Amino acid sequence: MAGKKRGGTLEKTESRDAWIMMFPAIIVLLVIAVYPILRTVWLSLHEMVLTNPGSGYPFIGLKNYGAIVQDERAITAIVFTLKFTLATVSMELLLGFTAALIMNKAFKGKGLVRAAILIPWAIPTSVSAMMWKFIYNDQYGLFNDVLSRIGVIDKYQAWLSTADGSFMALVITDIWKTAPYMALLILAGLQMVPEELYEAAKIDGANIFQRFLYVTLPTVKTTVLVALLFRTLDAFRVFDLISVMTGGANGTESVSVYAYNHLMKFLDFGYGSAMAVMIFVVVFLISLLYMRALGDQITDL
Amino acid sequence: MKRRTWKQTAAVAAATVMTLSMAGCGGSGGEEQAKSEDGKTIVKFSFDQGVGEPTQKIVDKFNESQDKIQVETVILPQDANAVHDDFVNKLASGDTSVDVMGLDVVYIAEFASAGWLADLSEYVDSDMTDAMIEGTVEAATYDGKLVAAPWFTNSSVMFYRKDVLEELKADVPTTWDGWMELADKAVGINGVEYGADFQAAQSEALVTNWVEYVWGNGGDILDEDGKPVINSSENIEATEIMKKLVDEYAPEGVTTYTETESEQVFKEGKCLFIRDWSGFWSSGQGEDSKVTGMIGATSLPTGPSGTKSHTCLGGLDLVVNNNISDEQKAAAGEFIKFMVSEETQKEMTLISSQPPVIKSVYTDAEILEEIPFYEEFYGIIQDGKSRPKSPQYAKVSDAIQRNVHQALTGEAAVKDALDTLQAEVEELDAE
Repeated sequence: MAGKKRGGTLEKTESRDAWIMMFPAIIVLLVIAVYPILRTVWLSLHEMVLTNPGSGYPFIGLKNYGAIVQDERAITAIVFTLKFTLATVSMELLLGFTAALIMNKAFKGKGLVRAAILIPWAIPTSVSAMMWKFIYNDQYGLFNDVLSRIGVIDKYQAWLSTADGSFMALVITDIWKTAPYMALLILAGLQMVPEELYEAAKIDGANIFQRFLYVTLPTVKTTVLVALLFRTLDAFRVFDLISVMTGGANGTESVSVYAYNHLMKFLDFGYGSAMAVMIFVVVFLISLLYMRALGDQITDL
Repeated sequence: MKRRTWKQTAAVAAATVMTLSMAGCGGSGGEEQAKSEDGKTIVKFSFDQGVGEPTQKIVDKFNESQDKIQVETVILPQDANAVHDDFVNKLASGDTSVDVMGLDVVYIAEFASAGWLADLSEYVDSDMTDAMIEGTVEAATYDGKLVAAPWFTNSSVMFYRKDVLEELKADVPTTWDGWMELADKAVGINGVEYGADFQAAQSEALVTNWVEYVWGNGGDILDEDGKPVINSSENIEATEIMKKLVDEYAPEGVTTYTETESEQVFKEGKCLFIRDWSGFWSSGQGEDSKVTGMIGATSLPTGPSGTKSHTCLGGLDLVVNNNISDEQKAAAGEFIKFMVSEETQKEMTLISSQPPVIKSVYTDAEILEEIPFYEEFYGIIQDGKSRPKSPQYAKVSDAIQRNVHQALTGEAAVKDALDTLQAEVEELDAE
């Protein structure tokens, strides 16, 4: 009898078991992700400068957010970060896609190339940033050496001492580091394209460009979107690269660097938290727009 | 299609979750383990690795001499920002896992105004502070209370190439004009390519450099009442001297140099002089240096409107966590007394070559035999000045860094940059 009754609610039991099994994971997520976010949002609604405990850290509503809108430096940081994101992600997509297409062809030593291409990605950002900072050095830098040898410059330059030079240097370094990541993600997508599709297209008389446009692209679309999404988020939050290479000098202060300055340097937790929440919202919106626009475009092809 | 969009949205949300984690950190209070197994009070002492080895030796010596207190060291990485952030995290959350900290002098006002530092007057009395260099004691005082014990100090020195001056049969200049004149002649002699070398990257190092030009030209950052006087004619003139050095005499990348990069170029033998911290006297003449035995040291030059140069004081102070129990504080106080005693300071100087804060150590015969350069250095350091003392120092420093750097790189005219800087610091005052 009892068994029959339980049998009737098998679905219920299953869903209950699922909840029980997910419980530990949910708790962990709540503690390490949801709580800090809510706490940050909460802090952002307060005036909280740690060096001024006398203020009692009052609740000030959205004042911190109002201040960001009027803060010229914050706007400059947002503009710089958007420029940086656009420059790096588009170049990485281009280079990554190209590299993936090459690696997808069968050739000798393919395994080795695939492993080797991952090295820049495997080096911690702060370490590679130190390395590149030295590469751009005005006295001993490899960058100067190579450029002067091939005759592009006739005198060693201090690349990180100007606004344009710093921007270029940061973009190159970021591309060097993360294009391989993009390449590998896209390569994984390319390998899911069945060979028969290409054969069928060939029989139908499609040339190599048509095969790429009508066979390759639609199949790897999702993978590319995921790769773009990850890279956009990452690029927008850029911190360690800039912190090590320029320290935010020459107009290269990203929003994360600026938020960090407020939080950890000025100990202004209210304003700094508001900046962090802004980054969250902006990243969220950018990603949505980005994906929707790109998604439709590729579907329409 | 619609459902997939929703799923994508969820994915975006999940991924962006990570962006926020940076602000939400906070250390939990470590367990206070005040007693060791043999009943000694345990004092946790945290400082950065830069002074790690010699300090550990001194601490071991203290522990041997003690039957009541046991000092345990917590060594942090050698990175001023990382050390600052570590202490802030601990102190802001009321943590008691650390009792005594080695804190950079520029953060004293910030930490004191937050109420994180214990009053040390009880342990470090006036007899002890009288024996110390005045500037260091002044920098350790906040609101009339001694909130830190000067541990060791630091000041900059003008290191120059003795061999080049001898070649030119020139006297050591005392003004910036004199140095520039000399630099014009020195390029090309004994491998010298650059007339000047210093630190002008957008960083705290730039602040310490810039205030010296300002002070040496009779200017200042704040007047006696603490009001900013940044765009004075003396300061504009001083900044223009610095810009001239950047444009015409220093290596191309000087506006990206902190200490390491500038020292490297000087050690290669490419510069007539380098403005650097006193420790460079020994580190600049090691095995990896091409200028060993060729370095002379003198005080910084003055500008046309100045009469006397002042070096910028740096260094580390010992501070006590205000969250710990009175009993712990007393034990920490005992330890600090030991650390700043003349005997310990002398020993620390011998093994670490960090400039001591006790005046008599500079004239000690044994020390002078080991570090003859201290004879000149003592005069330099006594004239040293501290950077403006303010709970908002981090913001003041940030404003100086950005605006002066823009002036030096030519992104802004010198006068405009200092006007902006003046306005920014005034605004901080108004807050």
